[in-house]
Amino acid sequence: MSTPIKPPAEGDFVDIYGVRWSRWAAQLSARLDVIISIIIALAVTAAFHLHFQLLAGDWDFWVDWKDRQYWVTLTPIVAITFPAALQYVLWEKFRIPLGATLSITCLMVGAWIARIFGFHLWSYFPFSLIWPVLMIPGALVLDCVLVLTGNFFFTAVIGGMGFAVLFYPSNWPMLAAYRLPVEIMGTLVSVGDYIGYTFTRTATPEYLRFIERGTLRTFGGHSAWVASAFSGFVCVLTYLLWWHIGMLLSKVTTLPNRWRSMFGMAPDQTAATAPVESHDAR
Amino acid sequence: MRAEWAKQLSRAFLLLLGVVVVLPALAHGERNQEPFLRMRTAHFYDVKWSADKIAVNDEVVITGRFRLFEDWPMNLPQPDRVFVGNGTPGPVLARTESYINGHAAIQSGKLMLDRDYEFKTVLKGRIPGRHHVHPMVNVEGAGPLLGPGSWVEIGGDHRDFKLPLTTLDGTKIEDLETWGVANVVRWEGFWLLTALVFAGWWLRRPLLMTRYRALHEGHEAALVTRGDRLWAAAFLTGTVLTVFAGAHWAENRYPRTIPLQAGQFRIDPLPKDEHEINIQVKRATYDVPGRSMKMTLVIHNPLPHPVQMGEFMTAGLRFVNHELPAAMAQVDARYPAELLPRTGLTLHDKAPIAPGETRTVDIEATDAVWETERLTSLLTDPDNRVGGLLFFFDDAGQRHIANLSGAIVPVFIGS
Repeated sequence: MSTPIKPPAEGDFVDIYGVRWSRWAAQLSARLDVIISIIIALAVTAAFHLHFQLLAGDWDFWVDWKDRQYWVTLTPIVAITFPAALQYVLWEKFRIPLGATLSITCLMVGAWIARIFGFHLWSYFPFSLIWPVLMIPGALVLDCVLVLTGNFFFTAVIGGMGFAVLFYPSNWPMLAAYRLPVEIMGTLVSVGDYIGYTFTRTATPEYLRFIERGTLRTFGGHSAWVASAFSGFVCVLTYLLWWHIGMLLSKVTTLPNRWRSMFGMAPDQTAATAPVESHDAR
Repeated sequence: MRAEWAKQLSRAFLLLLGVVVVLPALAHGERNQEPFLRMRTAHFYDVKWSADKIAVNDEVVITGRFRLFEDWPMNLPQPDRVFVGNGTPGPVLARTESYINGHAAIQSGKLMLDRDYEFKTVLKGRIPGRHHVHPMVNVEGAGPLLGPGSWVEIGGDHRDFKLPLTTLDGTKIEDLETWGVANVVRWEGFWLLTALVFAGWWLRRPLLMTRYRALHEGHEAALVTRGDRLWAAAFLTGTVLTVFAGAHWAENRYPRTIPLQAGQFRIDPLPKDEHEINIQVKRATYDVPGRSMKMTLVIHNPLPHPVQMGEFMTAGLRFVNHELPAAMAQVDARYPAELLPRTGLTLHDKAPIAPGETRTVDIEATDAVWETERLTSLLTDPDNRVGGLLFFFDDAGQRHIANLSGAIVPVFIGS
């Protein structure tokens, strides 16, 4: 990175993806790749983490909220949003199938930073109570389906469903240890229940938990799979919606400057001819 | 000279800033709760802390009783779902047991107004420091209702903390703080590495501008090759297989698991007194400049014994009649001194109230604690009422508790 960039000599060109680039411009482009990638990663980490905390926060924060119904239903629906939007941008503009993996990995890194510094070091919560969920397998499936089909509709249907259905089994290797039964004061609870009870959240009493209270028992006790299937169906729709949000937000749009006259400047000439101009690369 | 003066000023400013910044947070804002929440909801009494100084892993037991007040504020929901907790600065103490009337209180349940409940909470020292510890009940829709708080000092090292447990399938957990965490880190770390490998396949090649230009100049085949698709197919298959293999491993490792438990307790209240002393508040005033609550009460004694008023208790404040030994004997040495006004309760008629007698009595509770506990803001409340418990004692030293509630009028001009 420290090598100075020199303007190209005559005939100093390279071929990248069938396009002719001067070596100088290609070097500049590579450096820009690094800078932009870091900025995108930081921005996605911050924005996605905020979005996820607001909409699925407690289910992700606490081990005694990770139930078979609401956690399983809600988390994939909330989490498929940024992957869909970012997949649009990265696939449609660059043919890079990393939208889901990138955003979910950024979310996971952001979540661990918050858990370590905010929850553990600052507020003393043990990691057994606050570990964040795993969604990378679902994200890999979304990206792989996009590469293989090259089609956003099939990615929504197959990938969206896969994203939700894989959520519970991919977390089960971690969660099962917290669902062992234990007798506390003559009451049957899971280890996760007791961890939540023991490490006090002063303003979060037991009854505030939005957890399964038995409404899915009629499906033979397989609440998690029923919830996963429903979540998958909603994930398909959410994916389609957020793919379009990605499309809208990546449009380059210019608006006439209506404030020029307030500062004694001539009216915006573009305004007279083209009030709103949109450049969609597609 | 001027430079020296500026240097001194900046030093003083930095010192002041330092003092302001490092001021410790005392307790956790219980005085900010509206007076109606503290005076007319859960009245904690007989609260005792078993210790005020413990080491990490030692226990402090908080016991006592609370009454859900008869004149419950109309703007709060009824106590249909209640959880007995503890007000501490987060999990500085681990709550290992809690009981209501001897029954386990690990879950929530319905409690009744105008009834008394006995509680016990066992807390284990975890994070060294000096912590303010309250008993507390959480009422759904009303939020946390705090009892009196006392300081508990925890000494030692947090790294020595251990909370072992044995599950019903015989699994021995050495410490709940760390249980399963290594497995979480391994599993999430594996998938993070997998994601980086998958991403690395694409990131090793020129990325943004070059791909954008190639795509728009019609070179799409060079951007996503057959090799890329094979790579994606391999990852797709590997991911699905690994996920289900992991879940299968967990099923075999932990074959007996249960869902999160969300039941509710059903606990009967303590028996009620057969005859309750009846209190009517004829007039209640709060003298703002004098910091004095004065009340004229009409008291009816239905008991077969004469009784004397021994204490007025509200929001954890205990105005005790110093002239009544039975009342003074009820004050625990560890009860927070800031909640025991030194002036106590003043009675204008000290004679015992005879059985069956109805008498009008003037009482006064005067202390700056009304201000320091921020209870005077009840005068600006839209539902301007005072509430509390009156403790009477008969000639055998037996205690009888009565509810006191009524409208209160502020007095702004000193007499």
